[in-house]
Amino acid sequence: MTETSNEKLQYTGRIYQLGIYLKKFLRMFVYQSDRVVLPIGAVIAALVTFVVGSNMFVTQEGTTMGTFALTCVCVWNGFFNSIQVVCRERDIVKKEHRAGMHISSYILAHMIYQLMLCFLQTLITLLICSVAGVKFPKPGVITSKGIIDCGITILLVTYAADIMALMVSCIVKTTTAAMTVMPFLLIYQLLFSGSFFELGAADFLKVTTISHWGTDCLCAIGRYNEQPMVALWNTLVQFKDAEFYGEKPLLYVLQSVEQNGLLNDFLKWSGQNNVRAAYASTPENVLPAWGAILLMIAIFTTVAVITLKLIDKDKR
Amino acid sequence: MQYQWFVAGSGFFDWVLLSIALFAISGKLGWKKRWMAWIPGLRIYCLGDSVGMSREGMYCGIMDFLFVDSVIANFLLKGEARVGTLGYLIHLVLFIFLFIYRLRIYMQILKLFNLSKSWIILWLIANWLPLFIIGVGKKYQPDKAMLLEVTGKAEGEKGTEPALTASLNECVPYTDEGLSIHLKERNVTDFGKTHTLLRDVALNIPPKSLVLLLGGSGAGKTTLINAVIGYEQADAKILLNGVDVYEDYESVKHKIGFVPQKNLIRGQDTVINTVGDAAEMRLPTSVSKEKREQIIKEDMDLLGLTSGQDGLVSKKSGGQLRRICIAMELVTDPALFILDEPDSGLDGVISREIFSKLRQIADEGRIVIVITHTPDRVIDLFDKVIVLAKDSGKTGRLAFYGSPEEAKEFFGKGSMEQIVMSVNSKEEGGEGRADELVEKYRALVASKKGGQAS
Repeated sequence: MTETSNEKLQYTGRIYQLGIYLKKFLRMFVYQSDRVVLPIGAVIAALVTFVVGSNMFVTQEGTTMGTFALTCVCVWNGFFNSIQVVCRERDIVKKEHRAGMHISSYILAHMIYQLMLCFLQTLITLLICSVAGVKFPKPGVITSKGIIDCGITILLVTYAADIMALMVSCIVKTTTAAMTVMPFLLIYQLLFSGSFFELGAADFLKVTTISHWGTDCLCAIGRYNEQPMVALWNTLVQFKDAEFYGEKPLLYVLQSVEQNGLLNDFLKWSGQNNVRAAYASTPENVLPAWGAILLMIAIFTTVAVITLKLIDKDKR
Repeated sequence: MQYQWFVAGSGFFDWVLLSIALFAISGKLGWKKRWMAWIPGLRIYCLGDSVGMSREGMYCGIMDFLFVDSVIANFLLKGEARVGTLGYLIHLVLFIFLFIYRLRIYMQILKLFNLSKSWIILWLIANWLPLFIIGVGKKYQPDKAMLLEVTGKAEGEKGTEPALTASLNECVPYTDEGLSIHLKERNVTDFGKTHTLLRDVALNIPPKSLVLLLGGSGAGKTTLINAVIGYEQADAKILLNGVDVYEDYESVKHKIGFVPQKNLIRGQDTVINTVGDAAEMRLPTSVSKEKREQIIKEDMDLLGLTSGQDGLVSKKSGGQLRRICIAMELVTDPALFILDEPDSGLDGVISREIFSKLRQIADEGRIVIVITHTPDRVIDLFDKVIVLAKDSGKTGRLAFYGSPEEAKEFFGKGSMEQIVMSVNSKEEGGEGRADELVEKYRALVASKKGGQAS
């Protein structure tokens, strides 16, 4: 029964192991409490949409703020999905690896499982946005419907953040370390996206953030350049009573615009003078952004596999 | 500009004063190269290393070097606004880490010199002051026994290793049946230093054996196991039924089952699926689905897991978890089955039950090696006992291999626990006879050269 011979026996390969792990993760999804990531993601999306959703895809300012917030929700959801999945069972992975498990199969199984989670979260986010009255652009840039383009972007951003967190989970050895690193990654994504903060000499760093590509992509899909700009009008209103040589010229201009029913034209005119090349609703803007996110996913996956293969070097 | 002069000046004086203080204490701590006290980075590493804190010493040394480096860099850059701010930040971060690691090393020094922890206040006032006082004060002498304990060598001396006359490896022949272990050395290199964890272990274990692996803390039990299963390879030749484990590791690893001390299983899956996945992953693809299911069923029955097989692993008791871990390895039909404390945390009844199962598993033709710290209640089930001991050079050695009865006779003790106590060091509450017994066993095997000692 237990004879060891020199006869070469075949053992499970990568694809077969991928199936085993995928089935295991799906079963564990049914049994475990990690399903909480879905309702939590929904709550976060609802809160953000409640605050910034009404003007998203309506005005330029609302679109910038809303898409950035939505991207942050996606990054947050992605991070929380997988930041602990590998490091919390690192000892198990080490033992299984020494018994013949292929790291690539294990990571790929996680990636497929996480893709499913991200897809569900994307559906939930879109549903919440729709319920909250977000006016998705009707025609899409790539597909026929804007909501589908937005959905693909949300999925990609969530998934890229998810795989980034998976990579971190493969690098660090404990859940504590993972949860320590996570806020820094999140802050990096928020600060260096280039959406709200001037980066100066560090501007080149924005291309390394998922949030930058996500925000750009959503703004382009949301037809930012065709939307009215309200910031200029609001600023002028703030200064309406300002006197200049005893006169109130701004008040006169504002009253004139309103009395002649030219407010919408003024807002559109403002928007037309505030277009950004990166937000032009063209496939040339959207497809490279999706490509950049996919490239990041590929890089994170490669680093994850390589670093986890070093698990045998973990000290006791 | 004033900031740069201040930092550079204070950095220079810190370097000089700390160097003098380290030079003073280095003699008492047995530094071979006392001039190292003047080299930033290296001096802190040497300090840590000489008090048995090489790791802290290395981290601290790197940061000490960077700190000096950043002081120089900041001075040369003359405080350009952003660089200056970055300089402050680097200093602050390095200072915090340096402080923590130095504190650990200093606490160790206080312990070695039997000084009160209140001395740490002196460090807060002036980093170099207590080192200088301890270094020059004649009444301050390190506890030599403790220094030996923490560094693994006597003050100013290299660790001594007992000379071998004829090694066990020369006396014990290789065999193609069962498990043949011929380990010359297992070394690890840590921060450029080589330590021998295990040396000169040679024995042959026949099939159908249930073997007890005994030894005190640090005697090399886990090191031996890791070397035998090929996970941490040693300077050794390990044959499992004639197949070299190291040369043909990829195929042999599937014939080795190892149950670690911790229950390494995912809680959120059912018992049957957990064991089933292990079988699917590790059995050869030539094994049909029906055959695989039959193997799983037999092993689940053998270990009494069938009744609760659809329950979640996380809901199982400690004893059931150990049995699930055993089942996961057993389904792969290992020729060699190694268990690290399978009875850990279990009561006597369940423990006995598990060892009885292991006896059954061994009787089916496998070699089962078990580490346990409570061997006496189940010693009747074992065929052989391996006793490892930590010699005076802190290296694990084979002190005995044979039947439990022979072991009792060899050590002149009535129980396995007493045997462990006889080889444990006096610091660990033992009799400190490791060197004597290792040599006695080596002489016994040498006298039977040509045959197995047992």
